[in-house]
Amino acid sequence: MADKNPFPGENNTGHIWDDNLRELSNPPPRWWMIAFWASIIWFIVYGFIYPMYPIGHESTKGFTGWTQIKEFQEGVDEVEAVRAEFETKIAAMTADQILADEGLSAYTIASAKVLFGDNCAACHGSGGQGGPSFPVLADDEWIYGGAIGTIEQTIAMGRKGVMTAHGKILSADEIESLAQSVMEGDPATNPLFLQKGCIACHGMDGKGLQALGAANLTDSVWRFAEADQLASVKYTIAHGVNDSTDPQTREAEMPAFGDRLSKDDIKKLAVFVYKLGGGQ
Amino acid sequence: MDATAEQKYSFDVVRWFAVMAVVYVVVGALVGVYIASELAWPVLNFDSPYLSFGRLRPLHTNAVIFAFGGSVLMASAFYSVQRTCGVRLWSDKMAWFTFWGWNLIVVAAVITLPLGMTQGKEYAELEWPIDIAIAVVWLSYMFNFVMTIATRKSSHIYVSNWFFLGMMLMITYLHVVNSLAVPVSLTDSYSLFSGVQDAMIQWWWGHNAVGFYLTAGFLGIMYYFVPKQANRPVYSYRLSVIHFWALMFGYVWLGAHHLQYTALPDWTGSLGAAVSLAMIIPSWGGAVNGMMTLSGAWDKLRTDYVLRFLIMSLAFYAMSTFEGPVMSIKTVNALSHYTDWTVGHVHSGALGWVAMVGMGAIYHMIERTFHTKMYSTKMVNLHFWTATIGAVIYIVAMWVSGIMQGLMWRAYDEYGTLAYTFAESVEAMHPYYAMRAVGGIVFLLGAVIMLVNVLMTVRKSVSEGSLQQARTAAASA
Repeated sequence: MADKNPFPGENNTGHIWDDNLRELSNPPPRWWMIAFWASIIWFIVYGFIYPMYPIGHESTKGFTGWTQIKEFQEGVDEVEAVRAEFETKIAAMTADQILADEGLSAYTIASAKVLFGDNCAACHGSGGQGGPSFPVLADDEWIYGGAIGTIEQTIAMGRKGVMTAHGKILSADEIESLAQSVMEGDPATNPLFLQKGCIACHGMDGKGLQALGAANLTDSVWRFAEADQLASVKYTIAHGVNDSTDPQTREAEMPAFGDRLSKDDIKKLAVFVYKLGGGQ
Repeated sequence: MDATAEQKYSFDVVRWFAVMAVVYVVVGALVGVYIASELAWPVLNFDSPYLSFGRLRPLHTNAVIFAFGGSVLMASAFYSVQRTCGVRLWSDKMAWFTFWGWNLIVVAAVITLPLGMTQGKEYAELEWPIDIAIAVVWLSYMFNFVMTIATRKSSHIYVSNWFFLGMMLMITYLHVVNSLAVPVSLTDSYSLFSGVQDAMIQWWWGHNAVGFYLTAGFLGIMYYFVPKQANRPVYSYRLSVIHFWALMFGYVWLGAHHLQYTALPDWTGSLGAAVSLAMIIPSWGGAVNGMMTLSGAWDKLRTDYVLRFLIMSLAFYAMSTFEGPVMSIKTVNALSHYTDWTVGHVHSGALGWVAMVGMGAIYHMIERTFHTKMYSTKMVNLHFWTATIGAVIYIVAMWVSGIMQGLMWRAYDEYGTLAYTFAESVEAMHPYYAMRAVGGIVFLLGAVIMLVNVLMTVRKSVSEGSLQQARTAAASA
């Protein structure tokens, strides 16, 4: 806009905007121009290394023959080669047999650690320590049994035990009395335990019945652990577990993993859980 | 006081956009700090869907990109196009339409995103009626800009305007194509594309929201405000021409590097990666041109805090435009993809480059359009340091956490079994997530300082009557 250059001698392009905006006639730095051309050459060369230039529905292959599927397969092959020796044996053996083989057990435990972490730990804790409503896997108290075959079955098929809600069957005093005895760890001495039919599932001695998944009431292991344990026990007696007739019932379900994990992975997990400390 | 400029140009809408940009950067950073804290301390979800990370995260990105970024771009483009063309905005009315339209879109985003209304496309979450509004308002912004250039009094078009115009054209194209959808109700729609093609279109948009909106547009800001603030000539006209065209032709190819090791065909991923690497030098062209503009005047950095923002932003720009292409190399991408490294990279661009250059431009415009000095230069300096330190803490935390994540996910033991469970990798991230939240808080603190400073400056301008004087004083020209 200016008639004469107000910034003489600085080698600008002669165009001035907004009083003092101007650009110099400097060439781009030499290193920058070299790098710029190198970038273009790089681009062309890259297309010969990797598949890059589209031709119709296909593309150039690149002289290295790289494809992402091949790279993936190579990575898988690398670990499979290490695992093959163990995995073929595991596939041909039962969980019992794996337990009997010390070397294979060690492999299985190492190999199932991440399986356990990704599939089981969310409920049962990273070390199988359990949590509120979720059974401890690291002790030797079992609801359905700690034999290797039983554990395998639990994982594959899932579990959903039922305890009837007794809120309408028993009076508040009776529930209080039964809950007290359970807290003391000796429910069998309470006459109500027999009279009200608790023994049908929890047994004459109150030690439960694994075939039904009825809990042992004498061991002070609380599946529904709460700060006020007495209130928690009373709640369980009143509302039951998975009793569809009571909307306030406790919900407790172990999902089946048979469709989600391979047979061998379930076998490995069973060994892993068994070896957490409580296998029988 | 510049009465000539005040009366010759249309500054009202610039003032409003500039002040709103500062409000939005505080809001956007606040939501960012909150969701960063949720990742470190999940209890902050409060079991409410409206506060959950999944809904607040798009609110954060939309607030910083569209509310803050958009306001900065609109303020600075409207401001600089008038001054570099020597004419008033083509239409004041249309500029106000752009202002109110854009802010209503921001309000619509604030309402719909926490309610969970989303198209599920990153940086394009807003539902179709809002998408249409964006297109209309954006076109009003472009049309006014183009018509102002068409009526200019200068013979040549200044470089900043090339970049603004390139951004406006490409963003229109990208936004419209990526938002094509079949509506099923007012709040729901299905993308016109499906499967891997949808993913490709999405990242073609996604990367160019970065490439054009957050890079080309902000380079436009850089080309006006750096030489203006420094009162120095731009280092090289030829460099600006070459790197402008290289960016314009190169950036649109990069989207595919977001989809390597997916169902996207191999050749498409390679093409994205190859162009990405070839873009380091064109990107550095802008950084070099901006920094060399200061050659012979580096001492100005000692006294001019606004210039510090502008130059520091170029340093971050050069760094993140190097980092991005490196992350697109296949072997690096195999490690970095899906990790926090990506999040760190985005923030080195967003906090270090976009926010810093934008804030520098706002300080410059506030002083020029309210015709008074900033309320406190000490606060500008304090803001500079909090912004820089906050950004660095954030980026470093994500580098460590991202690389660690990538390494933990792929590590396996002598039995050929994964060494870590996913939950273990999450647990390992905790200290870095806390560190990231701290970095965000420091950055937010700076933004709050800026907001206070800007509002006090506006108050000062009102009490001094300097804006009033500029409007009524006899113009000297």
